[in-house]
Amino acid sequence: METLRQMLSPDFLLGNSLYTSVLIGLACPLVGVFLVLRRLVFMGVALPQISSTGVAVALFIPFWLGVVPGSHTAHTEHLLAFAGSTVFSLAAVLALAFLERRGRGQPEGRLGAVYVVAAAWSILLLSKNQYGEIGWLDLLKGEIITIDKADLVLTAATLVVVLAVLGLFYKELLLVSFDRTMAATLGKNVAFWDVLLYLLIGMTVSMSVLSVGPLISFGFLLIPALTAHLFAQSMRQLTILASLLGGVVAFIGFGLAYQWDWPIGPTDVALLGLVYAVAWVAQWLIRLFAVARRAPPRVAVTQRRKA
Amino acid sequence: MNEPLITLDQLVIGYNNQPLMAGISLSIPRGSFTAILGANGSGKSTLLKTLLGLQPPIAGRIQISSPTGNPVVFGYVPQTMQLDPLYLLSGFDVARMGVYRRIGPGRLVPPGENAFVREYLQACGADGFAHQRFAELSGGQKQRVLIARALATRPDVLVLDEPTAGVDTAATQSLLEFISQLHADRNLTVLLVTHDLPLVRKHAEQVIWLHQGLIRIGTVAELLAPERMAQILEMEIG
Repeated sequence: METLRQMLSPDFLLGNSLYTSVLIGLACPLVGVFLVLRRLVFMGVALPQISSTGVAVALFIPFWLGVVPGSHTAHTEHLLAFAGSTVFSLAAVLALAFLERRGRGQPEGRLGAVYVVAAAWSILLLSKNQYGEIGWLDLLKGEIITIDKADLVLTAATLVVVLAVLGLFYKELLLVSFDRTMAATLGKNVAFWDVLLYLLIGMTVSMSVLSVGPLISFGFLLIPALTAHLFAQSMRQLTILASLLGGVVAFIGFGLAYQWDWPIGPTDVALLGLVYAVAWVAQWLIRLFAVARRAPPRVAVTQRRKA
Repeated sequence: MNEPLITLDQLVIGYNNQPLMAGISLSIPRGSFTAILGANGSGKSTLLKTLLGLQPPIAGRIQISSPTGNPVVFGYVPQTMQLDPLYLLSGFDVARMGVYRRIGPGRLVPPGENAFVREYLQACGADGFAHQRFAELSGGQKQRVLIARALATRPDVLVLDEPTAGVDTAATQSLLEFISQLHADRNLTVLLVTHDLPLVRKHAEQVIWLHQGLIRIGTVAELLAPERMAQILEMEIG
């Protein structure tokens, strides 16, 4: 209770981290639903990692240019990271979307290879970067305690953009995802709506990775959507339930991590996994119960046979 | 025979500049019931995609004439297996997609259009299960919802891509009877892609038969007469 009181206090020292975490928890599942429905789960794994490679490459630029330590401020470092994350995410999402549309080769293998190479490069570059090593390596591990006001504002803006685009163009995005041939025969510009959706996913991933790291981003992109899919009855319910689940788990996960001094990212993702497992078992039990209720009672069968 | 709605002139179809079939010249009259017949891999789907404008032809010309001057609307009925069951859509949600052509981006579907969709679901005998999850419907029920969706586009041409795939015999008969009725009542142009010869014989007026890279066009009586079929099949054996 004391932890909750502290977290809700306006003077809470880690307020920015808490609010950002919750905003990411709300935003990522909104686009994650489309990754799950389009069966692009591997893209959900690879994109955050590519985005963090973008951060690592951008932070390495001063090192390559031989800029003297201290001459670039934390603000510059942050701008570089923002640029790297955004450019890599958007470029990757468009390239992956193009390859997916061509439909050749092995998409899973390609995404798996991109993921592992991107992860290796992120760690390599940051471990050799004397400027950004400590803080940014923490970010890769999901340790989100040093979030400033700018990150919070950008994350909130991302959520607003995601909500606005989905609110305005949900029917078009759903149509091209569900039945692209039908969409084309209706005169819809399928490529345009695909690119819009992928840019939205890329922007959300890039903002999310910059604020909370790839681990939490991936977790919030996929697990809330998968969990909500077990119970939702309509697309609207799926989207709203996934987003709310992400926000609530982000809040509770933060509280648990703060209470027991655990790293926030892994705590959030572990909690998401637990919720998914419990939801899966609950859904299985509900189905079992429903089947048992529908089955004709044994007594009635026996009586009929006797008669 | 009515005036041609779609005319293909020396069309070459295929993918990545690799021709699958060349020299296709034919016309589909307005108000006709045309079947595109052929075995798996014969090029039916490629021809259909080219007709629908989803796949550009390698060479040749497609002329689509509309008496009103407006673009011709294709009411497309895909194979039910093409639609992913992961989407949490009811039959009504799926059928409602048919009106999206008339609703611009950023606009909600107005109540009048929703009523229009319900009307077509009822006409297709799908109103009883339209509230159920689309993925959980039977093959025949799904096809009825998809036909209602295609009709909700207010089509000039109803295009059915293997509508009997995954549908049992009784439902297949009922579906094709229903489509034939629609064709007769509304003078609707129907383009049916299938490999089911008895269905074509019973319902179609014109047949486009794709066979071994060649295309044959004629009426059902001309092309599917036993001696003509034997002639075509002998050519294959020879």
